[in-house]
Parts: sequence; C-alpha cells; structure tokens
Amino acid sequence: QEFQFGPCRVEGVALPRLLEAFRTVKETMQIQDNITSVRLLQREVLQDVSDAESCYLVHDLLKFYLSTVFKNYSHKIAEFKMLPSFSTLANNFLFIVSKLQLSMSRLNDSAHRRFLLFKSTFKQLEMETALSKAFGEVDILLTWMGKFYRL
Amino acid sequence: DGVAALPAPQNLSVHSTNMKHLLTWSPVVLPKETVYYSVEYQGEYESLYTSDIWIPSKWCLCTEGPECDVTDDITATVPYSLRVRAILGSQTSAWSILEQPFNRNSTILTPPMIEVSQDGFHLVIELEDLGPQFQFLVAYWRREPDTKEHAKIVRRGGIPVHLETMEPGAPYCVKAQALVNAIGRNSAFSQTKCVEVQGEALPL
Repeated sequence: QEFQFGPCRVEGVALPRLLEAFRTVKETMQIQDNITSVRLLQREVLQDVSDAESCYLVHDLLKFYLSTVFKNYSHKIAEFKMLPSFSTLANNFLFIVSKLQLSMSRLNDSAHRRFLLFKSTFKQLEMETALSKAFGEVDILLTWMGKFYRL
Repeated sequence: DGVAALPAPQNLSVHSTNMKHLLTWSPVVLPKETVYYSVEYQGEYESLYTSDIWIPSKWCLCTEGPECDVTDDITATVPYSLRVRAILGSQTSAWSILEQPFNRNSTILTPPMIEVSQDGFHLVIELEDLGPQFQFLVAYWRREPDTKEHAKIVRRGGIPVHLETMEPGAPYCVKAQALVNAIGRNSAFSQTKCVEVQGEALPL
C-alpha cells in the first residue's frame, strides 16, 4: 500500500484507516457546517490534477490542514470527544508531509494556483465557519488522495 | 494537598514486538491499597501543534496492572509521547512521562512461524496470523542441483495457501519472512521446512 503522487512516493500509510477515522467523526462534524453553498475543495482545485502537480498540491493542502485547520479546530474536536480519530488523521497527515518534502524540488505554479484558490475561499469565510467547513471536507480530500493510492 | 502524597509511577518503557506495543512501569506499592493507573498519549502532531492536548489511552483509562497495551493508540509511524499517573480513590499522582518518545518503526519483528504440509501432491503453507498490518514473502524451491527459488506474497496469515504441485523424487523446501508496510520493514526469514511427496510422478 502506497501513495504515488507523481514523482513523490509515500509508503506506510493505510488510506482505509484514515477514511475509517474520518467516518467516525464525519456526522458530528459535518452538522457544524451549515453553509452548503460554498465548497473549499471545489472542482477547480481538485479536478484534472496532473501527476506532476499532485505532489505539490497535496503537500500544500495537508500542511494547511495541519497548521491551520486542525490546529485551530482541536478544541472543538476535544469538546466532542473525538480526539483519537482526529489524532490518527493528523499524525498520518504529518507523516505524509514529512515524506513528500524529501522528494520535492521546485515550486509547481499550477499546483500553487489551485492551492491559492482553496485558501482564498477559506479566508473569505468567518474563521469558525471556515474551520468546520474545511474539516467537514476531509473526506473529499481523502477521496481525491485515493486516486494516487496503490494497494 | 493529598495530590503530591501519591508517588508517581517510575521506570516507564515500551516493549514492542510484531507491532504490538506494551507500555510498562514500576507499580506504586501501598500496603493494603489497590492503586490504579491512567495512561494518556500524544502523537508528534499534538506535541508540535497542540501540546496541551493529551489523549486518554483506549484501554487504560483506569487500569490495575502496571502495564497498558497502547497498540490501538499508536496509529501513525511518528514519535508518540506517553504518560502515566497513579490513582488512589480521589488522589492522583503527578504524571510520569516516557523518557524517549516511541515510534512504532522500532518494533521487533520476529521470523514468522510456518506450517508446511502436503495435500496429496500439493505443497501447502500456513503462516502465523500476526494481524492486518502483516504480509509475508514466501520462498520455496525443489531441493536439487541448479534449482530455482520461487517467491510468493501472502497477504494474510492464519489460512492455508497452496504454493505448488509437487513431483516425487526430491523434497520441496519453504521459508518465509514477515513484511510490515506501515513501517517499511521486514523480519528475518523463518526456519526452512521441507516435505517430500512419495509415489509415482504424475502422468503428463
């Protein structure tokens, strides 16, 4: 089982385990997201991502989730007593990012534009709303990552 | 200020074999008292980004023995911090923290136990069931000069797997090693085991 994001290979993460971890928090978390007209991981961010772009895009997205979404949402997670599943996601994202960095050489402009689109949509929302929406979209992120996953 | 009166557990360490991780510590001994313990963990993420958050261990919220199976808590190949405190009635001790964070990639991988048998002319192996994180590389060959070694990946232990249809006249030998994708490591090979089928060769 491994991810192959274009030039970047990551072994040692079981995607089904991450999907299962998110499934246990999904229902509770997605109730918090009441703005259904906005989507952060929209079509222009994730559709038709080339292999060459994929490593840079997943790196930027996961780093943003780690440093902004998860970091600022952990109090809510603790409140809902969902820390174990959250910890599984966060620590595996951290592991993936650490492995990606080893293979990345220079910036990929089109991947960066996709990430900036995601980030600007996020910034347009009020912080708590943006956090719950971003967290609720982890399954969209994992499903997209699944396209680069080999059993 | 009874809290400080209860001594904290000492000598924390993790014993990990085949991806089963057991946290142990020296018990707090008080005459005629039963002391309980509570275990919590933090992955690398928590220690980097939310260091005030510790997560109660799945199986050791309040446990009697001076040990805790933290296998289900360790769900990524990153360093984990672990801590334990003693509980006696309403009293709790200070936390004792594992000196070195534990990473599951340090687990000891033992050569798998194998059972090699023959079902008629069929060479069959059954491997030790070590859990979902384990696959196995099985090597097998016909023991004769210039023989060629074959290899097969077996995805799970605990079930018989057909390797080859044998021919009389020479033994067939098998060995296996465990592969753990989550940590990118494998065990040493097991002992080699051989079987030989008697009788006439199969008609062509």
